[in-house]
This record gives sequence, structure tokens and C-alpha cells, in this order.
Amino acid sequence: MGYDNHIVEAVRDTLVQAGSTFRDDQKRAYRRAIEFEVNDTARWTLETILENAEIAERNRSPLCDDTGIPHLLLEVGPNRAVTGEMLDAIDEGVRQGLRMLPGRPMAILGEGVERLDQHLGMDEDPGALEPAPIQIRKIDEDVLRLHVLMFGGGPALRGKTLRIFHKHNTQNVTDELVAWATENTGLLGCTPCVLAIGIGRSQYEATSMMLQAMVDGTFDVQSELEQEITNRVNAVGVGASSLGGNTTVLSTFVKIGPQRASGYRVVCMRPCCCFEPRLASVELSAKA
Amino acid sequence: MIKIQTPISKEVAESLQVGDRILLSGKIFCGRDAVLPKICQLVEEGRLGEYGIDLEGGVIFHTAVSIAGVGPTSSNKPEIEGSFETLSKAGIRMHLGKGAISQDTIDMLEKNSAVFAIIPPVTALLGENTDSQKCVAFPELGMEAFYEIEVRDYPAVIGAAHGKSIY
Ligand code: SF4
Repeated sequence: MGYDNHIVEAVRDTLVQAGSTFRDDQKRAYRRAIEFEVNDTARWTLETILENAEIAERNRSPLCDDTGIPHLLLEVGPNRAVTGEMLDAIDEGVRQGLRMLPGRPMAILGEGVERLDQHLGMDEDPGALEPAPIQIRKIDEDVLRLHVLMFGGGPALRGKTLRIFHKHNTQNVTDELVAWATENTGLLGCTPCVLAIGIGRSQYEATSMMLQAMVDGTFDVQSELEQEITNRVNAVGVGASSLGGNTTVLSTFVKIGPQRASGYRVVCMRPCCCFEPRLASVELSAKA
Repeated sequence: MIKIQTPISKEVAESLQVGDRILLSGKIFCGRDAVLPKICQLVEEGRLGEYGIDLEGGVIFHTAVSIAGVGPTSSNKPEIEGSFETLSKAGIRMHLGKGAISQDTIDMLEKNSAVFAIIPPVTALLGENTDSQKCVAFPELGMEAFYEIEVRDYPAVIGAAHGKSIY
């Protein structure tokens, strides 16, 4: 099958960048954290993580040996079309990117229930790892833009999607979020964390909002709600690599979607680890 | 920053204190949940020699070894933390990983002149400081096999020693 090479190469390179490169605002957040960290051992950890990011960027090599599961968000401008062929080219780009990074071979062999206990083992080809179902959203800008995120295992293990009863007071939602984040950042190990939070009308919508929060969030600008959550979790003092200090959470990214007329909110929280969001973005142009 | 070279003597292991930052160099072993119980079984059956493995003064890094590199997995998984005692008695002086371990394990380490060290998940940096790798046992486990790698200046911090823990 002939893939559109423009798209394949763009996606391949973007995936490698996502798995190997800190964004500029992420580096700035680390530098600020290093400056304000009071615990010597935790500061050393933060410095080591930033040094690791510099080496990974220079070598275009993985930030972490858990290279993550590709998650994709495709933004579609008013006059852009998405075809099945294009989605195939994106999948091929992901495959090639995983081989180039290189991704850790993590595709479980077998079908359906055979995969649950992984008794057939793993495919040795890093490219055999399927991306999660692609998410598509409309944008005003007239471009086709793909965001590639690499989701590590630790945050998936510590994440949570559940309803919170708001009792007609936002503070109840905030308090519950802080409680979840405090518990799970304590267990994550690979702190400092970025809390990615999506709030919607169903588990599906909340998780979709969480992914969008990871794409839209920036370390440089924090809303009042985001800052409150960050500050309260940091006050507990888990710290970088759980070694104590004041940098458990670098930033919080919240995306609030439409809400249901009811007493609860469905919330998805992913306590992203010290390298996340491993995110890179590219504008796709189809072949002429 | 304390420079440590493997093999690690009892005296050097006993001199380490919680919170000490170290730079580790030399040959170290790599293994995690799948292979460590098998290594313990070899120890108990006195069969390590068949594989040419000598654990005296050694370090076990709790990691897979894949084309993506190395990085610590949580050391408190039952099969990993469950290996500490047998391996310490067989001569391992340093267990290298991440996460809090139990007080029983911390006390056991003290009795056997061994320590637990925490290494950040800095795969790119570790890759630059790894000179060679070879599979020494159970190759059928792929990236979870028992490996020996040669490293320079791996950064770590002592997480448990002399009955105390950093957490
Ligand atoms: S949680 Fe993140 S930093 Fe830790 S091992 Fe997984 S991907 Fe790497």
C-alpha cells in the first residue's frame, strides 16, 4: 500500500520528538522548581531529570525506558478533510516513529482474552504497538494539526476516573481532586508530577477532556483552580522521587467540558510523571 | 558525592548513610520481577557457578534491558523485594531501584551489610554512561533476562541503610 510519505515522515519525526524532548515551558518549569526547592536531595533529582532531558534531546533518544503508548489528537480546520488513507498514513508514521525512537517492545501478542495475562509474550517489533484510538476535534485555524503524546505506565496505574458529588459548591470538587492527587502522587514514584484533569458528563468525555488538558495546558500560565490544586498537593511534601521537599506537582492542567444537570461531575485525573506530558505537535499537509 | 566502584566491599557498604549521593561505576547486574526469583532459586540450589555468576560485592539494578535503554522499576513489587534477603546473603551489597521498601527489609539489609539505593528514571543519561551489556542468564525472558552491564558514574542516593530509610 502506498502511504502519503509527507504524513508518514511528519508523524514519525513528531513521535520521536515527543518521546525524547522537553517542551520549552517544561524546561522553564523545572528551572523554577530547582531554584525554589528547599530539599537538597530533591533538588539534585530535579537537576538530574533536567540533565536527562538535555541528553535525550541532543541524542534524540528516549527520555525514559518506558517509552509509552502513543495517544493522538487530530485538530481539523474548517476547510480540511480527513480521509481513511490519511489515518492509515498516520498509523504508519507511528509505527516508523516507534522503531526510530526506539520504543520499548511492548505490544502484547494474541487476540482478546489471550492478551489479558500476556502468556504469549510480546512482539519484538517496537512498531507493533498500536496507538490508542485517535481523538479528533474542530479548530478555527485552517490547518490539520496532529498532537502525539506518549503515555507511560506509572500514571496509568495511578490515574482515576470517577464521579465527584459537587453539592453545589466548587470547593467540594476541588477538595476531592486534592485528596486524589495527594494519594496518587505519593504512590507514583516518578515525581514531580503534572496533574492532568478532565471533567465531563461521562467517563468517556472526562477522559477525552483529560487528553485535551495535556495538549492545551501550559506550565507558564495557571488558572486559579490549577494553582490551588498544585499548591495544596505540594504542601503535603511528597517531593521529587518521593524524597521530600516542595516540588511534588510542577503544574496542574484542567479542562472542563460541558456538564450534566445533576449532582455529580465525572472526573478523570492522570498524575503524569516527571517526563510528561511527552508531547509534540505537527501541521500535516497532504501530498499535492 | 561519593564515588563507588564495584565490587563493593563490606566496609564500603557499611560506610554508606541514608541520603548519601553516590556515583556508581563498574559491572552491575540487571533484573526485575520475572528473573530475580529464578536467580534466588539458583542461589539456593548452589548453581550460580554454572552460569559463571559471582554476586560477591555486587549490585542489582531493578530494570529491564531493552533497545530503549534502562530505567528503574518499583523495587517494592513482591518478587523484587522478596529477592533482597537471599541475594544480600549471597553477597549483593547494593539493591538499586526506586520506591519505599518495608522496615523488615531495611532491617534485613543492615544485618547483611547491604544497602538500598534510589536511582532517578533518567534513561538517556544512563544510556550515555553505559559501556557494555551482556545477557548472563535466562535469555528466553528477553528484556527481562538477567544482564550484566558496565557503567560509569550512575547517579543514585542511598535510600535505606543501617535500619533507616529516606522516605
Ligand atoms: S512513570 Fe514515567 S518516568 Fe516513571 S518509569 Fe513510567 S514513563 Fe518513566
